[in-house]
Amino acid sequence: MEAELINAELVLPTHFSFKRIQIYEKYPKGQPRGRWKHLKQILQAENYQNCPPDEPNYVNIESPPSMHPPLRICDITGFEAPYHDPRTNLRYANTDVFKLVRSLPNEHVQRYLALRNAAVTLK
Amino acid sequence: MPFVSQIKRQTDYNLYSSTTPIVIDNGASNFRIGWAGENDPRVIFRNIVQRPRHKTTVGRGLAPLSIAMLFISSRLWNIFLTLVSIVWEQMDRSSEQIDHPVLITECILNPVQSRSKMAELLFETYGVPSVAFGVDAAFSYKYNQQHGICDKDGLAICPGFTTTHVIPFIDGEPVYKGCSRTNIGGYHVTDYLKQLLSLKYPHHMARFTWEKVEDLKMEHCYIATDYASEARLFQANSIYIISWTKEAEEKTRCWQLPWVPPPVEEPPSEEEIARKAAIKERQGQRLREMAEAKRSTRINELENQLRGLEFLLQQLEQVEESEIPYFLKDTGYVSRQEIETALAKASQSLRKVKGEPKGEQAEVEEKTDEKYPLVNIPDNMLTQDQLREKRRQMFLKTTSDGRQRAKQKRVEEDLERERKNQLDEQKRLENPELYLGEMRTKYKELCEKVEQRKRLKTNGNHSNGNGMSGGVGRGERLNAAQRERMRLLTTAAFDRGKGEDNFGAKDEDWQLYKLMSKDNDDDDEGPDEDETELARVSSRLQEIDPTFVPKPEPGPSQSAADMPRSRPLTKEDFQILLGVERFRCPEILFHPNLVGIDQAGLDEMAGVSMRRLSSKDQVLEERLTNSILITGGSCLYPGLSERLEAGIRMIRPCGSPISVVRALDPVLDAWRGASLYAAAVQFPQQTFSRMDYFEKGEDWLRGYQFQYTL
Repeated sequence: MEAELINAELVLPTHFSFKRIQIYEKYPKGQPRGRWKHLKQILQAENYQNCPPDEPNYVNIESPPSMHPPLRICDITGFEAPYHDPRTNLRYANTDVFKLVRSLPNEHVQRYLALRNAAVTLK
Repeated sequence: MPFVSQIKRQTDYNLYSSTTPIVIDNGASNFRIGWAGENDPRVIFRNIVQRPRHKTTVGRGLAPLSIAMLFISSRLWNIFLTLVSIVWEQMDRSSEQIDHPVLITECILNPVQSRSKMAELLFETYGVPSVAFGVDAAFSYKYNQQHGICDKDGLAICPGFTTTHVIPFIDGEPVYKGCSRTNIGGYHVTDYLKQLLSLKYPHHMARFTWEKVEDLKMEHCYIATDYASEARLFQANSIYIISWTKEAEEKTRCWQLPWVPPPVEEPPSEEEIARKAAIKERQGQRLREMAEAKRSTRINELENQLRGLEFLLQQLEQVEESEIPYFLKDTGYVSRQEIETALAKASQSLRKVKGEPKGEQAEVEEKTDEKYPLVNIPDNMLTQDQLREKRRQMFLKTTSDGRQRAKQKRVEEDLERERKNQLDEQKRLENPELYLGEMRTKYKELCEKVEQRKRLKTNGNHSNGNGMSGGVGRGERLNAAQRERMRLLTTAAFDRGKGEDNFGAKDEDWQLYKLMSKDNDDDDEGPDEDETELARVSSRLQEIDPTFVPKPEPGPSQSAADMPRSRPLTKEDFQILLGVERFRCPEILFHPNLVGIDQAGLDEMAGVSMRRLSSKDQVLEERLTNSILITGGSCLYPGLSERLEAGIRMIRPCGSPISVVRALDPVLDAWRGASLYAAAVQFPQQTFSRMDYFEKGEDWLRGYQFQYTL
């Protein structure tokens, strides 16, 4: 390839002397590179449901949902938010923020909601 | 840790014997590799790889392609292949194969698939003789235990880049049963900060690159001891409590973006002004001269014409009546009368050009009867031409009469106003106080009236202002009459073809069209009276009352509200203020629900871990909480250990001992611990060789467990 780029260490050479199987041998050009599994697929393949339930594994060490009262903060300012706007679903701290909330374009409202995973997703 | 690091190529690869293990800490954010027994890794770099989109473009913008869950997600496997290649290359590019044992870190309870993939890579591609897997948080804990930071029983809390783990240790061994993991870490904090900032400053969105925001996070973020009170500090800043202002102000950080003040326009110098005025003056002079010259030529022309016409008339005196048409043939005039009118016209325009007062006008109006001689003569006494002439005269007469009447009316109005003013003056002189009061109330009333009218015109009713911001509908902008018309129009439109059509049976039906038509919009005329009266009263008040200040017109104030749009950009527009964000973003470690992750936060996780141990042993639990070690990159926030201690105290029985300590170096301790283990004598027993891998197969790896007790 571009020799000067390799010398400038901008790109990697395709051949390494310390590799037993070079990348071009493993994945010849034009051949599909094989499919990489997502985390979900890997976990499914592990068949954790066959394991005894009291044995720890990757899935069952996940933390449970929080038992503490959720912290509700103003989506825009980060202050404590005692109020909730039923139209935009945003939480707000005081009247000044409320004015701002009502003047926000819908796109911004959705982005604020998406921050706490509450945005309306259309499928 | 800088985002972009310069890596020096290692040159001493051949100096190490083949029994010296290579230690790799494959963290989510950083990749660290070095030799066993040494104190610091040789090569550290961000665990990101950018593949060029086109073969020819190289090194354009590093997208943070974190191979965070690398051991888990083999989707990024070939990226990792490349990465490891780079690493080996950085270690030494000349060697034939890698004949050193490898200790590599993994996440706790790594799925077998990921483990076997890694083993396959190391054994088959790189020809490594033997491999060992260990948990990074455990190495870190053991390293700190050796340095006396924590006990053999304790909790390791490890907030990392993508996940946060809590691992309980009993007798120096991690207890997997009691582990818990929340999928939140430094990545989420940075992302949250980035999103918040770009929403707060949409104009500077391009400035918030991942790298920059990460720097901001590392430099400025801290954990609030109590989120609510800390936030209130900033909230108070904006409203009423002045004594706190300073504190919040001190806590606000400001990032000044590069900003060049726009060039200030120099006020023109005296000379400049003088020169400009001179030029203007000269131009004006020339124009005046030109106008003068034009005027004089015109006067000349008209005078010549006049002289000619007068001469013609004089000549006509001497000509016989019957000879006239013949005589006038060359001049273009037909009769003596015509010449006379032309003469009058010419003399009038001459007077006008010379700028003499038009005394003619009054003169003309006086002799109306002379001007319209035919008006009073009955039709039957006139010829065809005379009839036409009469009609013309009648038209002229009516228009001039109308003008006269309007003038008369104006004069009368003036008189009336004068009289009113005099009356006012009289009243004022009689009782100035009372008069002033009256005027004021009158002014107020009028003001209200006019304003109400305006409101009605612009916005139907007042109550919807707040509840429906942004949603001022069509109907709300109309006044009553317009609404009625809309109603009529819509009913007319929808009634068509419904039932029997007996429209037009009565004459009143046709009145509908009159109502519908726009002509009867009389709201433009209505307020006129009030407004003129208001102007009169306010001017009068201004005259007699020195304290009176007229209300500003609504027009200018609205334009003032529009002002900021066009105002020049100032230094403040290029400032990024970090206030609440400084502790709001790291707060997600304690409240993952702020970013929509429904899992327990850091302090609660400690409780979850101890519950999962279900030891029922009060003493053991106390020993655990007495030695809580925090390690991992995200525990570098100031205030984290205090907050964690407070949080855990809340879920523990009263009086139980709690001590939270930070690891010696939360970032590098995992690698150092691993290096220590790799250098130990027992290490070769912990590894499995290529032979084991080929003989026992992947599934054997399920049972593989590193022993952390030396």
